[in-house]
Amino acid sequence: MICEDARLAIGANPQAAGAELEEHLRGCAACSAWREQMRQLDGGIRRALAAPPDYTVPRAARATPRWREYALAASVTLAMAAGLAVWLLRPSDSLAREVVAHVKGEPGSWSSTLHVSAGAIDHALKTSGVGLDLTSDRIVYAQSCWFRGHYVPHLVVQTARGPVTVLILRHEQVRAPDEFREGGMSGVIVPAGDGSIAVLTRGSGRVDEVAGELRQEVHWLPEPAGH
Amino acid sequence: MRNPPTQSPVSSLGERLRAAPSRAAVTAVFESLRPDLLRFAQWLARDRSIAEDIVQEALLRAWRSRDALKDPAAARPWLLTIVRREHARLYERKRLELVCLDDALEVPDPAATAAADPDVLALRHAIMKLPIEYREPLVMQVLGGFSTEEIARELELTATAVLTRLFRARHKLRELCAAGPAAAAAPDAAPQGEPA
Repeated sequence: MICEDARLAIGANPQAAGAELEEHLRGCAACSAWREQMRQLDGGIRRALAAPPDYTVPRAARATPRWREYALAASVTLAMAAGLAVWLLRPSDSLAREVVAHVKGEPGSWSSTLHVSAGAIDHALKTSGVGLDLTSDRIVYAQSCWFRGHYVPHLVVQTARGPVTVLILRHEQVRAPDEFREGGMSGVIVPAGDGSIAVLTRGSGRVDEVAGELRQEVHWLPEPAGH
Repeated sequence: MRNPPTQSPVSSLGERLRAAPSRAAVTAVFESLRPDLLRFAQWLARDRSIAEDIVQEALLRAWRSRDALKDPAAARPWLLTIVRREHARLYERKRLELVCLDDALEVPDPAATAAADPDVLALRHAIMKLPIEYREPLVMQVLGGFSTEEIARELELTATAVLTRLFRARHKLRELCAAGPAAAAAPDAAPQGEPA
């Protein structure tokens, strides 16, 4: 067992035990410490869930001075304008960084080897308003993930050179292919229609062929309500 | 492997059911488990009155199909499963997850929080803020005692996807709590969930 698998198992269930995991922990101080932290957190979660959630006084029941409403409206408008400016002007490399951070947050996705059912793939794509003409038997992981304010399909596709991760970013535009190397991964974000597609792999493998193929095969469906 | 539930009143209740599987015994078991079911529903729905409706409906369904409960010791997970499905059904009908967290978190009930330690309080706020796809498996695991395989079956996911969601749920809780209790309690634009 490698550290990545051990941490996924512990993070998913800090009480988990198994011969393979225990053997790994005997030889890995960092993962042992991680389990301790996770068990502490889990104790807190158990205590937190031991009582029903706190309930509250409805907002409407409390009187708010009118000047506070205007001040709030003004500050919200300013904050939105500032946020919009930052959003529009942010460099594309921050997108790559966030893509890598997201993928690192789902370490189990790389180790998946089972083919995902067509229904699960369909769900992951349709939730995000994405159509993809890709043979489903190559997809070993399909989730609809919350990323930068939208649900996006997060897929792992098996290729001759190993697994590659694909995030289909309907709401993120890039002007030209943007190659990146970050956190032990390399990849490219390519423009596709009104959005973009991030394709990445562990190490320094090439993914531009896969990216090119996906660009041809992706299409945008009418966006689901509420997204 | 089933995880240890926070409370396990089932064994003694199971014995009562085995001894006297009458209507009265079934009613007694249902009533005894009601607080557990309600707490479970409240953490899913984040709204007391909706949770009460869910439990009411779930108990009604359970009562109608009480013959399906072959093993009395399984009453608790069986009822929790019905509650979860009822929540999912109601969500699909009414989009239940659109609870305004701003309202829900701003003024905690002093009676409920006076005795809580700040770390636990921060965790409670952080759990409330988790999107449903992370909160649901976490609550099922920790509060319901469901195993990964049971959660996968119930949510129609692969076991790998469940492990990932549970991992991410804890990861997000750590992030929220590391940012301090104020961050955990602060309202934000986190997704209010998707169909379960």
